[in-house]
Amino acid sequence: MELNGCHCEDEGGTEADDGETRQQTPGKGRAGDPRIDGGIEGGAAGPMEQGEPSERRARHTADSPRKSRPPFPWFGMDIGGTLVKLVYFEPKDITAEEEQEEVENLKSIRKYLTSNVAYGSTGIRDVHLELKDLTLCGRTGNLHFIRFPTQDLPAFLQMGRDKHFSSLHTALCATGGGAYKFEADFRMMADLQLLKLDELDCLIRGVLYIDSVNSSGPSECYYFENPTDPVHCIVKPYRLENPYPLLLVNIGSGVSILAVHSKDNFKRVTGTSLGGGTFLGLCCLLTGCSTFEEALEMASRGESTRVDKLVRDIYGGDYERFGLPGWIVASSFGNMMCKEKRESVSKEDLARATLVTITNNIGSITRMCALNENIERVVFVGNFLRVNTLSMKLLAYSMEYWSAGRLKALFLQHEV
Amino acid sequence: MKLKDAKKTSFPWFGMDIGGTLVKLVYFEPVDVTAEEEQEEVECLKSIRKYLTSNVAYGSTGIRDTHLELKGLTVHGRRGNLHFIRFPTHDLPTFIQMGRDKNFSTLHTVLCATGGGAYKFEEEFRTIGNLQLHKLDELDCLVKGLLYIDSPSFNGQAECYYFENALDPERCRKMPYNLQDPYPLLVVNIGSGVSILAVYSKDNYKRVAGTSLGGGTFLGLCGLLTGCESFDEALELASKGDSTHADKLVRDIYGGDYERFDLPGWAVASSFGNMIYKEKREAVTKEDLARATLVTITNNIGWIAKMSAVNEKINRVVFVGNFLRVNTLSMKLLAYALDYWSQSQTKALFLEHEGYFGAVGALLGLLNFT
Repeated sequence: MELNGCHCEDEGGTEADDGETRQQTPGKGRAGDPRIDGGIEGGAAGPMEQGEPSERRARHTADSPRKSRPPFPWFGMDIGGTLVKLVYFEPKDITAEEEQEEVENLKSIRKYLTSNVAYGSTGIRDVHLELKDLTLCGRTGNLHFIRFPTQDLPAFLQMGRDKHFSSLHTALCATGGGAYKFEADFRMMADLQLLKLDELDCLIRGVLYIDSVNSSGPSECYYFENPTDPVHCIVKPYRLENPYPLLLVNIGSGVSILAVHSKDNFKRVTGTSLGGGTFLGLCCLLTGCSTFEEALEMASRGESTRVDKLVRDIYGGDYERFGLPGWIVASSFGNMMCKEKRESVSKEDLARATLVTITNNIGSITRMCALNENIERVVFVGNFLRVNTLSMKLLAYSMEYWSAGRLKALFLQHEV
Repeated sequence: MKLKDAKKTSFPWFGMDIGGTLVKLVYFEPVDVTAEEEQEEVECLKSIRKYLTSNVAYGSTGIRDTHLELKGLTVHGRRGNLHFIRFPTHDLPTFIQMGRDKNFSTLHTVLCATGGGAYKFEEEFRTIGNLQLHKLDELDCLVKGLLYIDSPSFNGQAECYYFENALDPERCRKMPYNLQDPYPLLVVNIGSGVSILAVYSKDNYKRVAGTSLGGGTFLGLCGLLTGCESFDEALELASKGDSTHADKLVRDIYGGDYERFDLPGWAVASSFGNMIYKEKREAVTKEDLARATLVTITNNIGWIAKMSAVNEKINRVVFVGNFLRVNTLSMKLLAYALDYWSQSQTKALFLEHEGYFGAVGALLGLLNFT
């Protein structure tokens, strides 16, 4: 993969060999490292990873290396099965001269994005995730994180067209399945050429990047201590300095599991189709809810054991022979075979059971992968975990419990 | 509990597996009863034999799977027929009551039972039916039952089979498989929930994995989503549905294949993923939902089975359990998925007696007492 055309003379057209730490906040730069001055993070044609592994960030880039840095605006786009994730770099070090020369629509784009936190009826800027004072490719500015449903992509394209985005002559780096699916739409409706990047390449680089951009504030990477103890459960920072090998579990509409052995050496081990889309789809069918937030809200108030059949429902207690305690779920939704029980459960119970079922299944599959790949650290990312502490804690607990403490579940701030 | 007679186990010979959803019962009907024996036979023993063998349905929910009957079997020195009966665990109290009415306990036999219910209902058997259960582990029984049943051969046919060209409706064929040299074998037992065992020899096996997304999940979700009331009804609905109306496929996200990682466009990216859209929820039918539930649960089990096979380095996987009863759709899906995702390295096998191995194992447990 070639470098995008930013300031990395020593790399030329090859990958930087230490993808992690180039972006430093001012004052934290490493002396003597020629790549520090806004060098690109992680090379590869474009993707500048972002803390939001589900937000692959691709820098604006020309195709060939050794050009000066790409013109603004700098966007990275990940068009997923359910959500579009957009990162936007807002430069703060604009000189008077630059401002003078700035094209009107570039200015208007910047204003529109940074002075709103909501766009249209479904676009949202996650202000709490904003990374301030980042130095990227020699410029200083803020990194913004925006999302909207993939379903509304046509509206977004229309807006791009209205704001004459294409006249800015920038390449738009995009990843995710939608970069392929909607490529023609981008061209026809907004006159934009997409530079397509693989979603998992971007994901890896994003994860590796984000931990290094440790701006002031909480550590990017963290884990839960005592996950199922409501009183004693605490979030603890985790330094992902020597990350390899790492198992990366990306929970979007569906799930991909990657084994990462080094910055450039990873493979997609497996995946499962029972992901965030399944949770939301089933919840909508079973409870009549229509949004992710609503589904989570219901789940937080429900009791899944009314819906599930536990080991104790079958054994009358523990299944001792194989170490299965009575409270473990033997059959998810297993109590729902019985009509009277179906009539007695609430929507909240069903939402909870759906959450628990999907989450535990992901945990189970992850453990098997970790075992197979001989990896003990697992990082869970993806928008299924957004504002979904319940699932995070379940994952944390189940990893620890079933592996007798061998496996550790880690999470990242910017996935949420 | 010791047997009183070291040489002969007294009739009736039963093996019982009380699962989360179904009770599986095997009953050995001796056909070599001598005149003398018949003379001595206690009345209630005779009546039990008559009741079981002259009916194919019991009460409103009990069923004898006559097509599975093993005729002319020699078991523990006696010749007879092995019958396979099932009824919902929900109706166990009725069964116990019946045992009481027929004075079963006066026959002084041990009742060998396995499955979770052997523990859960032990008390009820004692207090209501005046019967002492001899409890055996369900997985021990499963393994022993499975290894045993393949040997007498199924009335001349193979007990074990696989599917050739699983997803090609024109060319798909059921082919016999010789399980004579079975080890190592991965056994995937799909009941209410799923247990996965790696079997290395007759006495050496371990439970390597499991999942709570099993037959009970399929039936439970189907009941909620379609209002259906039985397993057979759920399968009926599923056979007429199209799961791609509910699922989000790779091509729905990529517009085609996800080539980089060899994911074809027709692969499911997100099960039920299209159900996040209101219009699609309104357009989908009960049949589609039933089908999607079946496909989702089946494929998930297939994945877990495949990964277990890889982890354990075993390339033969036999699927058993009543989730597969009259469920050719799931069997073919499993066969295909395993073949496809393992690049034909792993073979999916099936057995005619599906969900009865635990009960057979319990019967053997009774007989091997001596």
